[in-house]
Amino acid sequence: MSGGRPLTVLRDINLEIEARSAVAIVGPSGSGKTTLLALLAGLDLPTAGSVTLDGQLLNDLTEDERATLRAEKVGFVFQSFQLIPTLTALENVLVPIELQARAAKHDGSEPERRARELLARVGLADREHHYPAQLSGGEQQRVGLARAFANRPKILMADEPTGNLDADTGGTVIDLMVRLNQEEGTTLLLVTHDTQLASKAHRIVRLSGGAVVEDRRVSAP
Amino acid sequence: MAPGPWWRIGWRNLGRNRRRTLITAAGLAFGYLAVVLLVGWMEGLTAEMIESGTSTLSGQLQVHDLDYRPERKIYDTIGGRDGADVDRLLGEVAADPAIEAAAARVFGGGLVSSGEATTAGVLVGIDPARERRVSNLLRALTAGQPPEPGTNEILIGSEMARQLDVDIGDEIILVVPAADGSMGNDLYTVSGIFRSGLAELDASYAMMPIESLQTLVVLDPNRIHEIAASTVDPWLAPEAADRIRARLEPLGLGIEVEPWTRLRPEMLDYAQLAQAWNWVIIVIVFGIAIFGVLNTMLMATYERRREFAVMLALGTSPLAVARTVLAEALSLGVLSLVAGAIITFPVMIWFHNSPPDLSFLYGDYTFFGALIRPRLRVEYSLEMWLLTGIALLLTAIIASLYPAIRSARVPPADTLSGL
Repeated sequence: MSGGRPLTVLRDINLEIEARSAVAIVGPSGSGKTTLLALLAGLDLPTAGSVTLDGQLLNDLTEDERATLRAEKVGFVFQSFQLIPTLTALENVLVPIELQARAAKHDGSEPERRARELLARVGLADREHHYPAQLSGGEQQRVGLARAFANRPKILMADEPTGNLDADTGGTVIDLMVRLNQEEGTTLLLVTHDTQLASKAHRIVRLSGGAVVEDRRVSAP
Repeated sequence: MAPGPWWRIGWRNLGRNRRRTLITAAGLAFGYLAVVLLVGWMEGLTAEMIESGTSTLSGQLQVHDLDYRPERKIYDTIGGRDGADVDRLLGEVAADPAIEAAAARVFGGGLVSSGEATTAGVLVGIDPARERRVSNLLRALTAGQPPEPGTNEILIGSEMARQLDVDIGDEIILVVPAADGSMGNDLYTVSGIFRSGLAELDASYAMMPIESLQTLVVLDPNRIHEIAASTVDPWLAPEAADRIRARLEPLGLGIEVEPWTRLRPEMLDYAQLAQAWNWVIIVIVFGIAIFGVLNTMLMATYERRREFAVMLALGTSPLAVARTVLAEALSLGVLSLVAGAIITFPVMIWFHNSPPDLSFLYGDYTFFGALIRPRLRVEYSLEMWLLTGIALLLTAIIASLYPAIRSARVPPADTLSGL
């Protein structure tokens, strides 16, 4: 709703994303990129149509079931990092693992080892006990990356992951994300204005006015 | 399963805005202090009322002939006209583990005169050695000494002494109806003057050796009206009375054994009313505190909307988000309770052991027939400390329910839009 009147943010979207592919969703501000990402992650439900994630129809799931599905299968990277400020870098990375362990009703195997390994892979092995406020923006986003991959997600959703970083730091984060994505065999869904970042994707979907205006395959996954 | 990150987040979040946490915790801690102190004062006043009301004269437990009360006729002695083995009765009463001491008494009533002045008096025959351990009147002497057994000495109240215009060593005349229908009269020497602070006692009561009064009112030495006993704790008196009643029943004397709770039901009613007020105090103090904590938690959770949205996006269930807020509230409650205990218990120990004396503001006063000293004495009550602690924790949790529900309902998609 906007100003008391219904507002159509997305319309006629028919999108299928292959496993292990990297898809960039691009478009001007207000084109519905983030709303599409929220629908695909089950953070919101469409007023019409349906969303299927890894064979699971999200429309049929309760809020708690969708949360459990996200804990098991989805990783997130946010533009403003969004680390939990009261947890250390290591504890932030542990959050999805602990959530996944709860969803599966058993303890994850050596969650701390996994979290430490990821922090080492993003180059922050020596900063694991630092709080977000003690880390630079680039370091926080690297922790965000480690957190996003912590629960071995099937799909990684990144919303403007370099939007708050300078060019050099953004480049480092992009390289890290692409490398981790390849190593972990994750499907990557990127919302970005960053052409450098979009160019790393196998496929570029362009939105405008809430509709797909271009769906271009750049390379094979 | 190891505890999740939510407890860590809740606990550590208290440190994010330390000043706010300290102010809120201080509010709850002082609420704890206020409740424990107010309840302690109420209990102190109640305890003093019961102690004073029962120890001044009546004792915490009394044994009478079944027909003695309420008329208190002079010939309704324990065991009837045949009397009883007084030493055995005293032994049986004193054998109860809750009993500290027991003393026999004889009562009479008549006219007390000196010169032209005459006043009505209640005469109490006592065994001074035993009485000293049962009641406090013998300790309230302002002049002279207790009457010596085997003499015609008498101890009178200060107001009676003033009305009769007598002092130590002066003689007074007693004229009393005796148990055989005659009128007993004799001359007595004032050996001491007491001042209890209770107008009725000081104006009307006189104490003399038990055998002296028995002679005056023509009662045999084995005929007494009352055995009064003191207990190690006033609240043990009802159970002690039941045990002593059962112990004396085989003697077939037709007696009643009554604790102060039945002899002075108005004091028991007040004690129960005071306990009910304790709950009113808890509800009022923590009822006010709830709004303070609610305000703090609402501000804190509003500032963290994005954090909650991230948690929901990562797969945290709304219930777990609410649990994080409640964990924070409970952590705040525990912190406040520890702080409250740290500031409360020294104050309690001080007020219990050296209660501030307010006699410079106003003097002694009577309350339900008991003399109360103007002191801020507090009584320890472990039960109320625990209940107040639980009330504090519940306050923190109840005040956080609404913020917790709001946090769980943060719409993640809208909140994270553009993050």
